Amino acid sequence: MAEYWYVRPEKEEAVNFFFNSGRKPDYTQKFEINEKDFIHTGRATAEMKLLLKRLGVEATVLRRFAIIGYEAEINITAHSRGGEMICNVYPDLVHVVFEDKGPGMKDIEQSMTPGFSTADQEIRELGFGAGLGLPNIKKNTDMMHITSAENSNTVLEIIVFFKENE
Amino acid sequence: MNKKYFHAIKLITSNCTGCTKCVRVCPTEALRVRNGKVRLDEKRCIDCGNCITACDFDAIRAVSDKLEMINKFQYKIAILSTAFEGQFPRRISNSKINNALRHIGFDAIVQESSLINIMIKIIRDYIKTHSELKPIISSHCPTVVRLIQLRFPSLLPNLLHVEAPMRILAMFLKEKFSQEQNLNESEIGVFTIVPSIANVTAAHQPEGTLKNAIDGAISIRDIFGKIIEVLPSVKQNKSNEIDHVRGMGWAISNIQAEEVNDGKLKTLAVSGIQNVIEILAKIENMQIDKYDYVVLNNCFNGCVGGTLNVENSFVTMSRILDLIRNTSYKEYYDKEIFTMYKKGSFNVKPLEPRSIMTLDKDIKTALSKIKKIDAITRKLPGLDCSACGSPTCRVLAEDIVAGKASLSDCIILQRKQKRGEK
Repeated sequence: MAEYWYVRPEKEEAVNFFFNSGRKPDYTQKFEINEKDFIHTGRATAEMKLLLKRLGVEATVLRRFAIIGYEAEINITAHSRGGEMICNVYPDLVHVVFEDKGPGMKDIEQSMTPGFSTADQEIRELGFGAGLGLPNIKKNTDMMHITSAENSNTVLEIIVFFKENE
Repeated sequence: MNKKYFHAIKLITSNCTGCTKCVRVCPTEALRVRNGKVRLDEKRCIDCGNCITACDFDAIRAVSDKLEMINKFQYKIAILSTAFEGQFPRRISNSKINNALRHIGFDAIVQESSLINIMIKIIRDYIKTHSELKPIISSHCPTVVRLIQLRFPSLLPNLLHVEAPMRILAMFLKEKFSQEQNLNESEIGVFTIVPSIANVTAAHQPEGTLKNAIDGAISIRDIFGKIIEVLPSVKQNKSNEIDHVRGMGWAISNIQAEEVNDGKLKTLAVSGIQNVIEILAKIENMQIDKYDYVVLNNCFNGCVGGTLNVENSFVTMSRILDLIRNTSYKEYYDKEIFTMYKKGSFNVKPLEPRSIMTLDKDIKTALSKIKKIDAITRKLPGLDCSACGSPTCRVLAEDIVAGKASLSDCIILQRKQKRGEK
């Protein structure tokens, strides 16, 4: 199983604290994401975005969350056999796990390179698979962790803190 | 904190049957039926006018200023919306309509269309000088501005932070005529003749405006009636024929987007409030990032679809297309207005969010409210029948948690309990 880690430098301490604390989420919601269902993809993110809005999360943070969520949902819809999005909300952050049912990534590092894509022509013609999904997620997240291997499922885990400068 | 909101909507509660038709069409969940009568949450209303159209019992009425209001002023100016001329059949000439407006009591009549040529240049300049804010979202529809304040605050910086054409004209004309007529600006009344209630609200409670030069907004419908009344007694005057018809295309959202496009820009036009909400969500998620300029209109097809118009919007559109065919723009006050724009005369204050979405200032309390709302929603039948007076089961749950309704408001649940079902 290959693994990829990224933590925004200024959030390192907070991320470590989060994983060591064993905290329980205040709120959890699970969404199904179906393979090639381009009509409904993005709906889970939209619903979560609305929820975060109602919690009073800042507009800039909301936008970052929306970009991450949407890109990740598209990834599952376009490139996998479907999967799920599990959202854990805490008073200071949202932690999301995207897990698909394969077929997995050959080379995660390569997938992190802007412009690299395994998308077939059909998907590209629809405007997806430009190879900017994972780099875009990295740009907007405070933490991302990917585990994957060929012929296995991919798990993407992200954290977005509600306060940007703490 | 407790800002009073003006709305160009009047509830005639005695006419309300409690049918909830309006509750279901409100895009911002601002309406409820409680104790059999409609109620409006003023903080949430964005003056889209959907409820007025939906009501079959004349319980929700459009409000606009009365014509008599102009008599408070020495010199009276009418600014006609680009949707105005399209209300009349071609055989009634513009000069005749203008003469009729003079007959009614206006001293000067100016078309919004006369400003469009320079407005296009202003927008292009704004797009160029704000390239970091892609896409720029048109701020000309007051309902769209309020919708963004309410539901898409992260997109507020993308709104075109320049006054709308009629407001620019009002500022410019007030100054110009006070000099020409040797009158104080307060003695000059500027009235917009408008296609929608949102324009009425914007005239009385503009968002971001530094100096409000509009004294009132009269509905196209009301003015139309008066014009028809006096039309037989006014003469046609060929020399008075207006020659800036090209700008009338502005009343059609697609044409707005087309005109701003200089061949290098990517523009998009979207109309109808549900379509607008969908596009704003996509822009917010960066799903749409190719466009430089996005025209958004609450009314279908743009201002031609306004609820205060007389003629069907498609007929109006075909008339306008007829009028503008083979016409070109002419310059009017273009140089002066562009100089004023560059000096910042038409700047607006940064538009601020209306944070009614937040459940509680304390996030922990908000989270526990969300959990309660979820739990109650699960108990409710999920039919979204609105019989309780809230638009959906989910909103009823929110109302219950907010202490504004109770579980017993759900008729289905009550019936189940009576039958002893679980």
